[in-house]
Amino acid sequence: MSYLNDSRSESDLTRPGEQWFFYWKTSAALWESRILEFAQSEIIFIPIYWGFHAENATTWDFGDLLAERDLVRLSKLLTQHGRKFSWILPLTPAPFFPNGGVPISSARTLSISPEGSHVVALDQESKLNKMYSYFEPKVFSSFVQFLNSLGQFLTAHHIKAPCWGLKFYYRHENDRCSYLYDRSLAFEQGFSRYLKSNFPQGVELGSAAEEEKFKSNFLSEVQDLFRTAAESSLGSFWSGVQEVLVLGGSPKETLERGLTEGKTQFHYFQDLFDVYIKSQWLSSSLLTPLEKNQLLPKFLTEHFGNAEIEERYHYQINSGDLNQDMRPYSLIDIVTDENCQHFQTNGLLPFLNQHYRWLYHMHPSLNFTTEWIEGHQHQVKFFHGSSMDRTRFGQMLKLFMMGQQIVLDKTGLHPDLEKRLQIFYLENNLKIQSVNFLTSITLCTLGEGRFFAFEGKRLDDHGERAKFWENLFVYLNLTQPEVVADNDVFSLWRIRATSASDLNYIDVRRVNVYNPTSYKKRVLIHTKKHFAFMKMIDPQRAEARTTSQGVEIELLPFGKIALDFGHYEEA
Amino acid sequence: MSLSLIYHFQSSQNQDGDFKPSRYKVVYFFSEQGFLEDSFMREMSKTIPDADHFGLTFLSLDDLKGFALRVAQELNSPEVRLISVQDYNIGLDGARDLASLKNVFSQFGDLVMNENNSRKKGFFGKLFT
Repeated sequence: MSYLNDSRSESDLTRPGEQWFFYWKTSAALWESRILEFAQSEIIFIPIYWGFHAENATTWDFGDLLAERDLVRLSKLLTQHGRKFSWILPLTPAPFFPNGGVPISSARTLSISPEGSHVVALDQESKLNKMYSYFEPKVFSSFVQFLNSLGQFLTAHHIKAPCWGLKFYYRHENDRCSYLYDRSLAFEQGFSRYLKSNFPQGVELGSAAEEEKFKSNFLSEVQDLFRTAAESSLGSFWSGVQEVLVLGGSPKETLERGLTEGKTQFHYFQDLFDVYIKSQWLSSSLLTPLEKNQLLPKFLTEHFGNAEIEERYHYQINSGDLNQDMRPYSLIDIVTDENCQHFQTNGLLPFLNQHYRWLYHMHPSLNFTTEWIEGHQHQVKFFHGSSMDRTRFGQMLKLFMMGQQIVLDKTGLHPDLEKRLQIFYLENNLKIQSVNFLTSITLCTLGEGRFFAFEGKRLDDHGERAKFWENLFVYLNLTQPEVVADNDVFSLWRIRATSASDLNYIDVRRVNVYNPTSYKKRVLIHTKKHFAFMKMIDPQRAEARTTSQGVEIELLPFGKIALDFGHYEEA
Repeated sequence: MSLSLIYHFQSSQNQDGDFKPSRYKVVYFFSEQGFLEDSFMREMSKTIPDADHFGLTFLSLDDLKGFALRVAQELNSPEVRLISVQDYNIGLDGARDLASLKNVFSQFGDLVMNENNSRKKGFFGKLFT
């Protein structure tokens, strides 16, 4: 059942979103009826509330003592009704569990956020969940005991469902922060032990920044401990790790959501689009029914719905070729580390946010599979020298040789890789063209592939750098309708192959436009050459009319509309 | 419209001869309508000498209170409550839900009255004391 036809009552707390099922939120006698409310085709994801299964400090119950812990009963119900399902195991505190999921016997020290406050989140019932520190030694030993019991339990009962480890994050200063982050006494004591163990001769922490770096390494190692413990205990059930941003789950948002105005749809849309372009995943499980209204559920269904879920969790891999199903569309892939500051200072991101809003994706790693490469054949790939290692460097050159368009900012490129680049040019007999426009640029081609390299450092905070990017993008000649709208109107593009009933188009592109404000908005879509308006889909509080330049849309407050355009080549 | 300000006391630091005095940092500053814009707070902080306008830190609690009062005057708010993050955490310890979370902002911290606002009673205000 999609949110568009969502008839669940406000009290249905068991289905908080993204096809999750909160089994502990209702009597076991009601599980069957709740499960049947999911569409047959939807995979059901079951977060394991590990603290709930703790009968005491050393005993774990999976249904012998309390029916609501009976995971055998649950899995049998799912199987009986032909439902695919997957377990979700939190590898960090999880804000939708009381105590973050930690059993009462291990819940000793509350976590401290970067701002110094406790880490708390309001759940969908407006109850306050407080995160307990995972750096308390008892938590890890308790977690390992639970994992051993869980692994044995799943094996003994032949419950053949995959288990995904999930790391949860919250929004923090235009970035994200792990729920594992902590600066409580438990953390400081653990950090002290870590230093003594790793640096028996002692270590001098010269500055606050250096100390933070050591603390960050310590946090990563602890995160890895939880992951490897899970992987080891769950063996063949283990499917891997996903990272999830929890909407509305930061300490600041907890306060904001408690205010009279609450967190606005507009601010949630800002978060959603940030998650989208950063290729991240999300959970809306904390949001109350009142918050999850208007455009939010529609957007979630359209862009984080069943198809996206199946691809994220590897149930379905999109082949390189387009088919009749709409899939996300972008023009640009930016391969960067978590800190995308480089592309901010060289001006690429400001330029894209002005001219190609939400038409790009950021990737912390390169998904170098056949399906991904073929599916992203036409996207221009941007790389940065400072986040380049030998593997990524080799993959970048391979993409170029496969006929893709590559743009490399050489700032920070290791001298060895610079040498390898020169050798690559020579070995492949590539003719290099050099241009000087605000900085030095080189270009070479190989078949359909084009490789641009430039010294981005000279663009850093340069007043005229926008011209550099304008000229580069003119040269790249990207074919796409232009959306002209206020900054508080959101739009995403999707693409599909043509069908027999379509005219002789190359492909069909759909733009979904959303107005999450309480003001009327006007949007212009300039089709330019190569695009013909086909139809509008599901206008809600919106109207569209064709003009000589394309299409003009009028969106009422909280209105949305989708428009299809056929892409053609001029003779 | 009442205002609430949560602050964090940062102790002094002395590393490699670089001394940073202790400061009071604004963590959250909000009204029922929402959080205050950073640009607005930075502008208001310029009225306080030696304030770090970018980081929104102040050398003393009195300076912080002065800043909070300036904001209250600008927004015509009758009062502003200042809560240390330690007190806020104590309040959170005892809170269980949204209602008890809201109570934290009436039970903890120091209330700073905007005398200017209370003086501007208007015609009816002068009748009802």
